[in-house]
Amino acid sequence: MPTASIQRARDRQATRGAARWFPWLGLVAAMLLFASHGAQATPAYARQTGSACADCHAGAYGPALTPYGIRFKLNGYTDTGGKGGSLPAAIQLIGTRAVPAGSNSKDTTQLTEADLYLAGRISDNAGGYVKVETDNDGHDHFHTKLSNVDLRYVAKDLTLAGHDAMFGVSVNNSPGFEDPISVLPSASNFGPPANSGTLLNPSSPNPLATHVIGAVAYGLFDGSWLGELGTYNSLPRSTQSDVGYTPSSDPGKLSDTGYLRLAYMKDLKRQFFSAGLVALTTKRQLPRNAPKDDITDLGYDLSYQFLGNREHIVQMSYVNILEQRDYGSVLAGPVPGLTSKQHVAAHDQTLSATYTFRQTYGITVAHLRSTGTSDPLRYPPFGDPAVTSNLYTLFWAPFGKEGSLTPFANLKIAATWFRFTRFNGTSSNVFGAPPGFPVTNARDLDEFSISASLAF
Amino acid sequence: MIKSSFGKILGIAAAGVIAAGGMLASPAATAGDAAAGSDVFKSECSECHSVQQGRNKKGPSLFGIVGRAAGTLPDYNYSDALRHAPWTWTADKLHGYLSQPAKQANPGTKMKYSGLDNAKQLEDLIAYLDTLH
Repeated sequence: MPTASIQRARDRQATRGAARWFPWLGLVAAMLLFASHGAQATPAYARQTGSACADCHAGAYGPALTPYGIRFKLNGYTDTGGKGGSLPAAIQLIGTRAVPAGSNSKDTTQLTEADLYLAGRISDNAGGYVKVETDNDGHDHFHTKLSNVDLRYVAKDLTLAGHDAMFGVSVNNSPGFEDPISVLPSASNFGPPANSGTLLNPSSPNPLATHVIGAVAYGLFDGSWLGELGTYNSLPRSTQSDVGYTPSSDPGKLSDTGYLRLAYMKDLKRQFFSAGLVALTTKRQLPRNAPKDDITDLGYDLSYQFLGNREHIVQMSYVNILEQRDYGSVLAGPVPGLTSKQHVAAHDQTLSATYTFRQTYGITVAHLRSTGTSDPLRYPPFGDPAVTSNLYTLFWAPFGKEGSLTPFANLKIAATWFRFTRFNGTSSNVFGAPPGFPVTNARDLDEFSISASLAF
Repeated sequence: MIKSSFGKILGIAAAGVIAAGGMLASPAATAGDAAAGSDVFKSECSECHSVQQGRNKKGPSLFGIVGRAAGTLPDYNYSDALRHAPWTWTADKLHGYLSQPAKQANPGTKMKYSGLDNAKQLEDLIAYLDTLH
């Protein structure tokens, strides 16, 4: 995984003394989270509904949703084939052969992830999704944590002013994960690797994703107009520890947090498109005894799907989130009078496209970009937090559709090349190693991997 | 209960007679292109309906739908509206049903479908459904 490549590169820098030039390296434990592309679907839903995996996911393995999958999520995971009695649980195993680009990095082949999903309907009006994730730390030590949670209560089949309507509440632990269109970073798993990412990006340092708890009320009018309004608070540090997170990943103390999502979507059966807005505002104290930072994310997103007769499916999305920060305090520099900037911005963008043939073979191409206001004190060594990367994935998911060996389980073999073109704002010597020290270029953080994912 | 069952049998019998008449009276309904109808099925119906015998999704299996009395698959939990519907799915009946919103065609149904207003596609779809035996 590129995360491992980056961490190895940074460890190498740190152990050779470079850490004294980058004091923040030791303070940020999880600088990057790879935009992993694991499933957010579970065969438990397929067994519950009688539907095939491919009905909700074009590539039969997720996470991108078809319009049918979007409706299933909006309905609070409660739709059923009417039989009842299916086990609301599923398991996913992922094995990966990783080939990092860096000359000092070793190739690895290992079981990288084992997940338990508790997912399904509780009643006609309540359902949920809970993922418990166990990750390999790279040395065959496994670490278990509570990943995404989304518990919903819905009132369906209502009529408002002569139009279909529904209302619901989602209790979840990642702002944006509840997005039914599943294009926001927490839902799509496409958060750009970031040195200074937005709060809505789960790949940002000290992310909100999976470290908070909140409630979002939502409504859908006429099958097209979506409105969501909610609030979040960070989990107590002791609770974060209980569910598997280290203190260094604490998102800090949040207050006055508001979340808003508005979207218009249109299902034309053979095509689908959506346009949305998202906003998140909060006052954050990080560390928790620090002055409050005023932070506001404002973003928009566009998506398009060509579904046709499901033989050739194209799914495209673009997400653009701008974050404005007003820091409650500044960092003092080595020179009297030199301080970090107080009013800054962070900017995350993701453009992705996936083509799927016969709901079985596919290719995903994504361009991920995270930039921010330059600041020599906050973003050494060059003062530029920009990270630009690309993802190329070829995949094969032979099952999970009608007529396949089983429609209720699936296997996905994927070959992925994750490529960095810029890190710390530059493509060469990204950690600013002085003469005589090993140089790490952006492309040294690249990684090629082959993974096998099994969900049942 | 007995009265209800008797009524149902009468309804099915009556529907069968109507169905036979309907099939004779609407040769155009099966004049569609079944191959093209397969594509229509995939984009319009396949998420909720399987064509495999005995496999129900959110909606019941459509294997053998043409000629089947409405609401009679034994292992599917129909809405009351469809369970008590007194018709058989003839090509004509499907034509009328699918050309309008489901809740208009059968008030109280669980089926959420806005209707297919493309006449050619509808003919093709019904021709395809007629092959599912």
